[in-house]
Amino acid sequence: MPNLMDDPKLTAYALGETDALTPDERAAIERELESNAALRRHVEDLHAAAGRLEAELQAEPAPGLSDAQKAALEAELKPGVKSGRKRQVTPLPVASRFERRLAAGAVAALLLVVAGLALPVLTQARRQARAVKTFAGAEDIYRRTEYDRKGVLEYSKTASVYDEIYDPSEANAPKAEYVFGDDGGIKLNDAFIFQGFPFDGIQRTTPNTESYASAKPNPFKSVRGADAVSTFSIDVDTASYANVRRYLNGGQLPPPDAVRLEELINYFPYDYAPPAAGDAHPFAAHVELATCPWNPRNRLAKVGLKGREIPWENRPSSNLVFLLDVSGSMNDRNKLPLVKQALKLLVEKLSENDRVAIAVYAGAAGLVLPSTPCHRKADVLDALDKLQAGGSTNGGQGIQLAYATAAQNFIKGGANRVILCTDGDFNVGISDKGSLIRLIEEQAKGGVFLSVLGFGMGNLKDDMLEQLADKGNGNYGYVDSEREAKKLLVEEAGGTLLTIAKDVKIQIEFNPAVVDAYRLLGYENRVLAREDFNDDKKDAGEIGAGHTVTALYEIVPKGRYAELVGADPLKYQEEGALTSDAHHGEMFTLKLRYKQPEGETSTLMTQAVTDPELGFEKASKDFRFAAAVAYFGMILRDSPYRGSGNWELARELASEAKGDDPKGYRNEFVGLIERASALDPKSNP
Amino acid sequence: MDTQGTAEPGMSGEEARSPNGPAAGAWVRAAVADYEGPLTLYAARLVGNVEAARDVVQETFLRLCRQSPAELNGRTREWLFAVCRNRALDVRRKEKRMTPLTETQAERAPQAASPAPPEALEKRETTARMLDLLQELPDSQQEVLRLKFQHGLSYKEIARVTELSVSHVGVLIHTGLKTLRGQMIPNAEFGMRNAK
Repeated sequence: MPNLMDDPKLTAYALGETDALTPDERAAIERELESNAALRRHVEDLHAAAGRLEAELQAEPAPGLSDAQKAALEAELKPGVKSGRKRQVTPLPVASRFERRLAAGAVAALLLVVAGLALPVLTQARRQARAVKTFAGAEDIYRRTEYDRKGVLEYSKTASVYDEIYDPSEANAPKAEYVFGDDGGIKLNDAFIFQGFPFDGIQRTTPNTESYASAKPNPFKSVRGADAVSTFSIDVDTASYANVRRYLNGGQLPPPDAVRLEELINYFPYDYAPPAAGDAHPFAAHVELATCPWNPRNRLAKVGLKGREIPWENRPSSNLVFLLDVSGSMNDRNKLPLVKQALKLLVEKLSENDRVAIAVYAGAAGLVLPSTPCHRKADVLDALDKLQAGGSTNGGQGIQLAYATAAQNFIKGGANRVILCTDGDFNVGISDKGSLIRLIEEQAKGGVFLSVLGFGMGNLKDDMLEQLADKGNGNYGYVDSEREAKKLLVEEAGGTLLTIAKDVKIQIEFNPAVVDAYRLLGYENRVLAREDFNDDKKDAGEIGAGHTVTALYEIVPKGRYAELVGADPLKYQEEGALTSDAHHGEMFTLKLRYKQPEGETSTLMTQAVTDPELGFEKASKDFRFAAAVAYFGMILRDSPYRGSGNWELARELASEAKGDDPKGYRNEFVGLIERASALDPKSNP
Repeated sequence: MDTQGTAEPGMSGEEARSPNGPAAGAWVRAAVADYEGPLTLYAARLVGNVEAARDVVQETFLRLCRQSPAELNGRTREWLFAVCRNRALDVRRKEKRMTPLTETQAERAPQAASPAPPEALEKRETTARMLDLLQELPDSQQEVLRLKFQHGLSYKEIARVTELSVSHVGVLIHTGLKTLRGQMIPNAEFGMRNAK
């Protein structure tokens, strides 16, 4: 074979397309390759070129179908759809332009239904005006609707779409032309009840599309047998507090599922001592015990962890990739503009050894700023300045691009992190949530962690964002103001960016000789099985430099459980056999496991705790304040364990434990209790 | 499900009647999840804009709804790309009849296909040089290279999708790759990174 160098067959061979060759051709190529080094190099070159082309092409963002198109396909797949309807809602590509608009109108009409339900105070005249206007802009709006696989048509951004579509000047626009026909089953009646749309139904539990995972408060557990052990993963997220604050400041009580006790408690900095200089452990654990303020016959135990503080100038270099949602819904003042402000604060704080890249996603993902060292800070700030919102969301590809960029610029021993900023529309264009989470988990194992910053309101996918940050060894914060941005990205930048220990788990074994029952406050979605504690494969929470993590237990002392749950004491059974250790008066043993940020095996810390029998008023300010925050959360959740207390108790506990409060966070909290109390119909009958 | 009354060009009456029971839904949904992105990307290159491409892809899936899995015989991907391609070419022909494109417009069209925000477009040059080089190749080479390297189709699959012979596909890929390599090699600063 004289000219194999330039033979398509050799290319096919190099690309592994041996099926495209005859056995003879293949054998001839292999013979030649054995003796010809130049040809072998050539094949390697072909390989490399193909690899690069493949990598670049596969990183290219794919737009995917619009949500309405997917909805239409979904309608097609529904069994038992009657023929007449389908035509109306399936924007077939072959349909005329008018038909397509009509289909768009169908979706828009459904939006109106939801909007109408959410805002029932509208007059009929305004509704009609809106219907007309909406129809004109239907295509635009229907791109922002979101149809998820469960058959729930969600309505995004109630308030601002509403503003966009209602224009009083249009109130007298001709409407006869646009009346929805009866034939298609699309009806817009007075009550805004929508009929004939081939979906299973409209699910509308809250007045917007924010979604929260629901979790029942942890119950009291009797200290007998296996239940004597409580195991959970730490959590440093703070989003829930900022979100609750947003609700209260907006004049509304938050939905109970938006209230996560541990995130309220951990929002506040506590004055715990960091590990001593020579201490091998990256964090110190402190336990405090005193009377439970809302149930004085019970004890309250506080476990406080404090991460080692690393002076900002001594921290390892950071390789950060900002992944920003620039979809249309991010246009509001409290979204993209705030994101830009927040990130600028962080960039200002970075030093020349740090790197920043900016990736955006909307209809497609793209790299706005390749990884740039921070001695060119002006370029980074400039790129942030230029960002604009527009388009629909496709988070899936954006996150791949962000991780690829982080991997390309990986700093060994540094802080490698993707920081995702979004209002939560993150489920379009990803084949499924499971594979997204797998991707994030894999990347976290590879050393690229994920922080999630939630912005805006009305569409916050709180449950999803929390889960992403959790799987990505990261933290989840909610940014409702520049002040909050400062707290997360400037004051606590070390904790947010520098992980000092990962997979931190807490296990407490209670002593049945002293304790009858106990209850972990919050951490509902962080509870682990007893055996998970020693299983280093089980993922858990991370702790950052200088971070504090606090957990509270309400403990029922011996002899009171039966009284508490209203059950009679057992007639035939006494407590089981106790070990000799049970008789030393210890209340519980605290065990902690953690891994170094780049380690694979965990280290164990153990501490036995005896109740000093302190009254509540003798406890530290931090203890009392944390108790106040927990109690505030319990009232917001209307927890069955809130005892006899009320808002006034929470306010009293908090205002007496404000301490120095240099940043005013605790003072603000007292204000929030007052607001919540004023908003609660039960406190103002 | 039937669509009587909707005259759908390019669809025989037989296709229009669904052979699928409720169980087929899962199969189509999986195909949508796996291929909506790739197909839209592919179609966008053929028709020149994303909106038209989405319509093409949606119609492709609508046809899949009416297709029995058994008939596809495990060749779903190939079938999707082939149907998508034919539909895209139809659309392109129709569009051309309506607004005849000049030579330069036609060349520019595929680039306009990207729906990236303007900022992303501006910066794209610095990040994607090989893609820029790819844009310069003749359409036939671009298409085949994309099918091979972006969508992972084999020579044989590409041949069936594009209705070319396997050896013709081989020549197009060889020639395209050769041109790209020729233009790449002088840029030594570009660190080689094998994807494998």
